Amino acid sequence: MSDQREPFAAELDVPVPYMQRTREYYQTLGFAPYRWAHYVTAPFTPLALPLSRARVALISTAAPYEPEAGDQSPSAPYNAAAKFYQVYSAPVDEKPDVRISHVGYDRANTVPDDIDAYLPLARLHEAVAAGRIGSLTPRFHGAPTNRSHRVTMETDAPELLRRCREDGADAAVLVPS
Amino acid sequence: MSLAARHLEANGIPTVIMGCAKDIVEHCGVPRFVWSDFPLGNSAGRPFDAGSQRETLELALRLLECAPAARTTVHSAQRWPVEGWKQHYLDLAKLTSDEIAERRKEFDVVKAVAKAKREGA
Repeated sequence: MSDQREPFAAELDVPVPYMQRTREYYQTLGFAPYRWAHYVTAPFTPLALPLSRARVALISTAAPYEPEAGDQSPSAPYNAAAKFYQVYSAPVDEKPDVRISHVGYDRANTVPDDIDAYLPLARLHEAVAAGRIGSLTPRFHGAPTNRSHRVTMETDAPELLRRCREDGADAAVLVPS
Repeated sequence: MSLAARHLEANGIPTVIMGCAKDIVEHCGVPRFVWSDFPLGNSAGRPFDAGSQRETLELALRLLECAPAARTTVHSAQRWPVEGWKQHYLDLAKLTSDEIAERRKEFDVVKAVAKAKREGA
């Protein structure tokens, strides 16, 4: 039984309404409203083997650091020049240099100076070492952002699937930033 | 990212998303989702806090193992250490009309830069 004396949470302590905020923000700035992808159902595939034997793929929206693409430091303003427009892959056994200056993370409250807060590669390696998961695929993959839904569905998602299959992935962990 | 998860899942690869934008991910509808009530940019746990990151990943792994059906969301019980952060994201309340005009110009520049890069890609 729950503790009846526990006070209610603060009235405004709810998930941030990002769609509403973004809509109002860009409407005020005079831009057309964005339409987010929306479905009422979702596909489902149960994991076919124990996780301790499964090979897991990691997919991220972080961007490879490009020296010529302007400020990508943890204090960088939104940097559209650092965006990427094709799926990329990089080995999981090297420490990657991927950044998030190209996306609209919460700059008022976050300084992304710890890669492990947006790319759980080190934690995944630990999980393999602990026997929690079987292994990682040899590569992690980068998914482009700021593309039309059509391009995501017709080009990027099939390419990510192709690479996951090529790597023999049994499951995938996807981490938007 | 949600669309990619749906595509993998529909083609036989179980997926889990770790994220902070609850409304956006659930609006799309995904198979499995670990939601952290943290500012955008911390989908994998709190910065410089391996324990927080480990706990967040473990929720994702358990969802892969145990989710009973599509659209299963688990709320991480972790809290962001600073109070009041939820009011800031794209907050218009404190902007003057001059600042709004400035933001509009900046956004036009951003779009032009992205377009140039996309077309050169």
